[in-house]
Amino acid sequence: MSVRRAPDYDAIVVGSGMTGGWAAKELTELGLRTLVLDAGRPISPREDFREHVPPWEMPFRGLGDRRAVEARQRVQRNSVSFDELSHQFWVDDIENPYSTPADKAFHWFRARQVGGKSIIWGRQVYRWSDLDFEANLRDGIGVDWPIRYNDIAPWYDRVERFIGVSGQVEELAHLPDGPFLPPMAMNCVEEHVRDRMAARFGRDRVLTIGRVAVLTARHNGRAACHYCGPCHRGCVTRSYFSSINATLPAAEATGRLTLKPYSIVRSVTFDERTNRVSGVRVVNAQTRETREYTARVVFLCASALESARILLNSVTSRYPTGLANSSDQVGRNIMDHIKWGGASGTFEHWSDRRTTGARPNGIYVPRFRNVGSRHPDFIRGYGFQGGASRAGWQAAVRAAGIGLAFKERLTQLGPWTMNFGGFGEMLPRPENRATLHPTLVDAWGIPTLHIACAWSDNELAMHRDMNASASEILEAAGARDIRPDARGPSTPGNTNHEMGTARMGRDPKTSVLNGWNQAWDVPNLFITDGACMASSANQNPSLTYMALTARACHYAVEALKRGDI
Amino acid sequence: MERRELIRWLMATAGLSCLEGLSPDEVLAFGTDLHRPSIQGAPRFRALDAHAQRTVTIAAERIIPASDTPGATDARVVSFIDRVLADWYTPQERDRFLAGLRELDARCRASRGRDFVECDVGDQNAILTAFDDEVTALRRSRDAAPNEHWFAMLKYLTAFGYCTSEVAMRQTFGDWPRPTRYDGCASVPFTRTRGG
Repeated sequence: MSVRRAPDYDAIVVGSGMTGGWAAKELTELGLRTLVLDAGRPISPREDFREHVPPWEMPFRGLGDRRAVEARQRVQRNSVSFDELSHQFWVDDIENPYSTPADKAFHWFRARQVGGKSIIWGRQVYRWSDLDFEANLRDGIGVDWPIRYNDIAPWYDRVERFIGVSGQVEELAHLPDGPFLPPMAMNCVEEHVRDRMAARFGRDRVLTIGRVAVLTARHNGRAACHYCGPCHRGCVTRSYFSSINATLPAAEATGRLTLKPYSIVRSVTFDERTNRVSGVRVVNAQTRETREYTARVVFLCASALESARILLNSVTSRYPTGLANSSDQVGRNIMDHIKWGGASGTFEHWSDRRTTGARPNGIYVPRFRNVGSRHPDFIRGYGFQGGASRAGWQAAVRAAGIGLAFKERLTQLGPWTMNFGGFGEMLPRPENRATLHPTLVDAWGIPTLHIACAWSDNELAMHRDMNASASEILEAAGARDIRPDARGPSTPGNTNHEMGTARMGRDPKTSVLNGWNQAWDVPNLFITDGACMASSANQNPSLTYMALTARACHYAVEALKRGDI
Repeated sequence: MERRELIRWLMATAGLSCLEGLSPDEVLAFGTDLHRPSIQGAPRFRALDAHAQRTVTIAAERIIPASDTPGATDARVVSFIDRVLADWYTPQERDRFLAGLRELDARCRASRGRDFVECDVGDQNAILTAFDDEVTALRRSRDAAPNEHWFAMLKYLTAFGYCTSEVAMRQTFGDWPRPTRYDGCASVPFTRTRGG
């Protein structure tokens, strides 16, 4: 009889981005020797962050290397954060394929490097409230969240205090305030629209400055933002939150962190005798060698679809359809946020005014549908993000004429334009599902996903309403030339808020995780990225993922101490 | 301390917290220094031959002439255009552009008896304006693709290359260096006040 070897680490965290960084920080600070694995390369702010490069030093002046992008990044290029310098933070689509049904396009944006998508995220952070946590129960949709706002509120506090969030206190019950750093400024047109909205809609439709994980004052050893603009290319002054800028250095400082890049987790290993996970099986991205690491507890923080993929690729005799999948919910209930609805309008006043400096933030109109009243066409709601600006030369390059008149035209600012873009809640539906592709594998031979996901009538009705309500707001504000968004619904996945593929719930038969992000089936397995979400709300989700991760880490460490897992 | 050493020290985890003590101007100067130019050396032309280079240089200058601010020649727009033709456009787009340059010369020879570069400035402006009018008419008559006409390509690349050039961003637009604070209600024209 063999003697059981002590595990290599106390904890393994798969992924080093938004949630992996938080798991690394919390677990190491709580005393666990923690191995963090990332599928991609290491990131050095000095070498890889490029936010101060001026346009004339880029070979294509910001247009990007079209041929390389068309050859290797045809999916990733659709992200709003993808550009000539940030393209390095997105995966190669040839190495990382997936499939969809022919009639259901899905954008799977992926970031494989240390730091993950936290380098290129939009940085907007909004708390949920019980309007969101009670929604599934109230509507009889999906499964009821096993937690309420009071369960997560202290963890929102903890995360916001660490990452630094600038914002304005609004005292809205359905968008709770936090310990904010000073808010960023609105420009003169945004202030005007805010005041006209208040006069017309009262507290029903509030316009506030975006709540953003960008520092407006020095914070925890990180410098305040200097408004250079392109955050998605990195930030050498660590002014916006990313795991590279904040959580991973905190974990490193404990002396208990081991970070291994180029480590693709193929599957989670499982001990049938104890019904516990024993570790992970890793393919080295450079050498293709396979090896295993063992630990007492495993956290999946690889992103919603990657974590589901890892579970589906972890087949055991006890779990023939994938580890922790006795509910058959792994991979199901994919949600994103529907966008590309809204409107823009122009203002003739303030022609002698302009903005200077690049504010990495916009305005926010918190959800107002189905809050105090009931909309006839859909349940749930949406928020607006946007802002006011004046077009520069970009709007004039195709103007008629040549010579001095044309040159003069290039230097004139366009009219003030105020834009509202909706982000709408998507309902969980079991048929929106990722499954293992029967034959398609990635560059390392690992089976990849077939993703079937589409909007339901509820989202489409909401999308139509975005155009109408944004136009109504602009009309109330006195805008001219009001143009509803003509793009139609966004491609699912394009908002990059994919979630729901291993949902939390109250019943092991209908959910993958309990109220502590712990797998019902396997008690030493935790999933704390977007996979855990039982509904999507309409707020940008990263803050909630981070708070749930911190909360789960503290629970897991207590459970380890008690010997429960 | 040498600049490189300073940067290395600042970028180490221990040193980075010192950044919080710097003013926004100092931080920007530090960041800009860190992100030194990656493109160096004289341009090497790969799509435009010597005659085409002269043609494009002069045509671009007629589209955006120097005045009290720099023009297209000062901004070396022709180098940017050559790079786009060689590395960014499809072969079809590139060939349409180069055929357009030949058409330009053909029209000049037909009406003025010489190549475009040999015409006087007034004739050059008149001929380019005629092409610009063709683009406008094409767009009015139907929903023409932006690059359907070769002159639309030349004009767009000239304007884009100019507006993203160092001389134009610094001198024509005052867009560089970037301000280090946000002002949502600054006056027009914008006059820079360093450090705010």
